[in-house]
Amino acid sequence: MLKMTKVSKIYRTDTVETHALREFSLEVQEGEFVSVTGPSGSGKTTFLNIAGLLEELTSGTYELDGRDISALSDRERSKVRNEKIGFIFQSFNLIPELNIFDNVDVPLRYRGFAAPDRRKRIENSLEMVGLASRMEHYPAQLSGGQQQRVAIARALAGEPRFLLADEPTGNLDTEMATNVLDLLDEINGNGTTIIMVTHELTLADRAKRNIFVRDGRVSDGPPEFRLAAAGGQG
Amino acid sequence: MELGPIWRSLSKNKAGFLLIALQIAVTMAIMINAVAIMQERARDMGRPSGLDEPNIFALSSTAFVPGMNMRALIDEDLELIRRTPGVIDAIATNSFPLRQGGSSRGFQTEPGTGKDDVGAAVYFTDEHAIETFGLMLVEGSNFAPNEVTWTEEGSDAWAGTVIVSRAFAEALFPDEEGSYVGKTMYVDQAKPVQITGVVETLQAPWKGWDGVERAMLVPQRRDFNFQRYVVRTEPGMRDVVMPQVEEALAQSNRNRIIQSMRTMDEVRYMAYLGDSAMIKMLAFIVTLLLVITGLGIVGLASFNVSRRTRQIGIRRALGATKTQVVRYFQVENFLVSALGIGVGAVLAVALNMLMVNAFSMAPMAWYIVPIAMVVLWSVGQAAVIGPARRASRISPAIATRSG
Repeated sequence: MLKMTKVSKIYRTDTVETHALREFSLEVQEGEFVSVTGPSGSGKTTFLNIAGLLEELTSGTYELDGRDISALSDRERSKVRNEKIGFIFQSFNLIPELNIFDNVDVPLRYRGFAAPDRRKRIENSLEMVGLASRMEHYPAQLSGGQQQRVAIARALAGEPRFLLADEPTGNLDTEMATNVLDLLDEINGNGTTIIMVTHELTLADRAKRNIFVRDGRVSDGPPEFRLAAAGGQG
Repeated sequence: MELGPIWRSLSKNKAGFLLIALQIAVTMAIMINAVAIMQERARDMGRPSGLDEPNIFALSSTAFVPGMNMRALIDEDLELIRRTPGVIDAIATNSFPLRQGGSSRGFQTEPGTGKDDVGAAVYFTDEHAIETFGLMLVEGSNFAPNEVTWTEEGSDAWAGTVIVSRAFAEALFPDEEGSYVGKTMYVDQAKPVQITGVVETLQAPWKGWDGVERAMLVPQRRDFNFQRYVVRTEPGMRDVVMPQVEEALAQSNRNRIIQSMRTMDEVRYMAYLGDSAMIKMLAFIVTLLLVITGLGIVGLASFNVSRRTRQIGIRRALGATKTQVVRYFQVENFLVSALGIGVGAVLAVALNMLMVNAFSMAPMAWYIVPIAMVVLWSVGQAAVIGPARRASRISPAIATRSG
């Protein structure tokens, strides 16, 4: 489903070249729940940005659903993002000026769904995350956990092929984080592929496969990671 | 189209948008009324005087030696001017259209005191006036030479016949449907005057007078030391003839001063100088207001792009194309402009009604309002396009940065 082969990403300024990813290779099958962990600056977010088509890669190939992504125009990349990928961000990234209903509606409008279809999708996805009664509320009126659930509803409303979660519990307390991870498990159980980027090994343990990234490459990781990974896979 | 969410989003951040809407409303109200004033002035400036202006010039002669035979001098001057090659005709007159100075009288349809009268400018001249001015006689006949009389300074004698402008005849005899020729009116409350001819157009000297279209030719010559001559030349000959006439008159009699030689083009220019300046000034103000409003929109849109950088990145991450980001700002501007334009239209009409009542202005033409709407919407859309494009270039990757 997702196949990166020798992907590199170099950030250049006038004087500095930063290699964020170096010949990074990864393949994720449909229905997998994969965690990507690693220390700060290891290239996790760059991987996420490239996987989510938020940034272009410098070299290598990236296939999504068998389609080479690297040659797509900006408009086509937007379309793929909108139709195939659902994003869950660490800081929720809800639009504060819009109520919950309108927030979930944002990607659906870009998709071009008709109003009745959008309404149904919004209601269903908010129902799934248990916030159907809060449609008229604004993000500021919700707790962090509730906001992340709205973000999940927004990501799921368009029925994407896979979810990219960037530190989804990073801004949540333990109880809320558990709720969100339970929700992700449920979503994955329904067949949605999930890639979760996190720096917490305990969270990575919830995934079915763990990838450790160091210096822009897939690495074996530290012993505790290997233990966790073995547990996750087992 | 994201009208609903954009409107709800605007209503969450009212202050900046309301200020811009207010600016648009004020600009619209001022712009519409400025354009209405400009239109009125331009309309006034475009009114025909009735004269063959491109081929006419005027000059004055002031005799400074006491006891001169002015009647003989005037006849000699006119004879000399008319003989000059390229001259069609010439007259002596007290004034002419657009000169901004002259005489007027009140005329009534019945003799006696306390009767309503209608004012008209009076041009004391002779049977050459129609040809010299290039007037179009639409009814009756020109003066016969023997109808023309001399009057001395201070005399209150009045001619028995006149040739009037159609506008004056219509104002004095509003119910008359047939000919105005032969109609009798009264001047100085008692002296009968008969209309013997009607010209299509003959303006009074005062361009700002509300009766500017009411004027008449009176077959009386005045033997004052100061004389004003009006000369009409063949087409294209005016500028050649002018210095010749000036020289010939100066040479023919050295006991007077020839001065104030002006073409009718110059007279018109001077008459409408203030109006012309007013139009330019209002055009400048309208342009300035549009620029300021445009800059205000650019400023607000730029501020919003900066303020919403992350939000725009999130939208891009969620699948918005660059075009959709640009369109978002355009729709947002359209809504703010619509609010300002709606309020501005009401303000503009109210201000216009106030000006119509206070300054006797003509009501504005209805089509100025929709034109102003289109102009302001266009200014708004043009102003927002730069910041909107800048917004569309925001990377979607910003969504994954912490903040």
